[in-house]
Amino acid sequence: MDEQEYKTKRANEVTQLGSAQTQYKYEYAPQVLETFENVHPEMDYWVTLNADEFTSLCPKTNQPDFGTLIINYIPNIKMVESKSLKLYLFSFINSGEFHEDVVNKIGKDLVKLMEPKYLEIIGQFYPRGNISIHPTFSYANEDEKYKEIEKYRFLNRNLNPQRVG
Amino acid sequence: MQLEKVKIHIDTKVQYLSHELLFLAQSGQPYRGTIYVNFTSIGETFNLQDFKKYITSLRDTTLNAEDIAYAIFHTINASIDTKELGVVVDLTARGGIQQRICFGTEFNVINKANIFQVR
Repeated sequence: MDEQEYKTKRANEVTQLGSAQTQYKYEYAPQVLETFENVHPEMDYWVTLNADEFTSLCPKTNQPDFGTLIINYIPNIKMVESKSLKLYLFSFINSGEFHEDVVNKIGKDLVKLMEPKYLEIIGQFYPRGNISIHPTFSYANEDEKYKEIEKYRFLNRNLNPQRVG
Repeated sequence: MQLEKVKIHIDTKVQYLSHELLFLAQSGQPYRGTIYVNFTSIGETFNLQDFKKYITSLRDTTLNAEDIAYAIFHTINASIDTKELGVVVDLTARGGIQQRICFGTEFNVINKANIFQVR
């Protein structure tokens, strides 16, 4: 693929990146997510996306919650486009979600979207009542290699507890 | 929004901060940032629960970024009497540009992490 072909391919794959008329959604909107093709599917490599401005609401009190989401994945054929991810994450602004639920919901949406080899999401939410909640979602496809990765990372999480405060 | 007055000692130096500011740009895009409020008491401050509700109310308020410090200053100034009131807002970067917006009396901000928050 020459440079021009590559640019044309990428330009045609996504609609929201570079759009001068971005529409921000204020209700849960998984339909805004877009993907582009992984042109290196023979390689296993990590992609990390950090979202430091995630916010949603407590479903009981409607008080705002804030947190950082760390998304790590090993792509298969499809990869999530980061602007569409930004719009998707912002669409939770008025959603009432427990931290544990929202991390799993986002994880499932991204698995459905990309069908990755492996994906994990760590939510690091701001403390409420002096307690901060850090749920982790993980998924591996049926390949034994990625099942091993998931198992290893699941079993070894926080063997050295993070310093807090 | 009116903030309820709370009596405190005169000449107390008060500084509040919140890492949980969110309001909307004219484009609809969210701005995120940290608010610092600083003043010297002339006998009163405001109810912090009211202030939390006020900060939360900004989540669906549309403002130019440069007007946010004034908006907060005005709300406090309309609710309580103070000496040397100042407001500083540090916004997170947009398009690679960071902004600090100040209104009122200048002061040095004291940056504290959220307790128990892993950085």
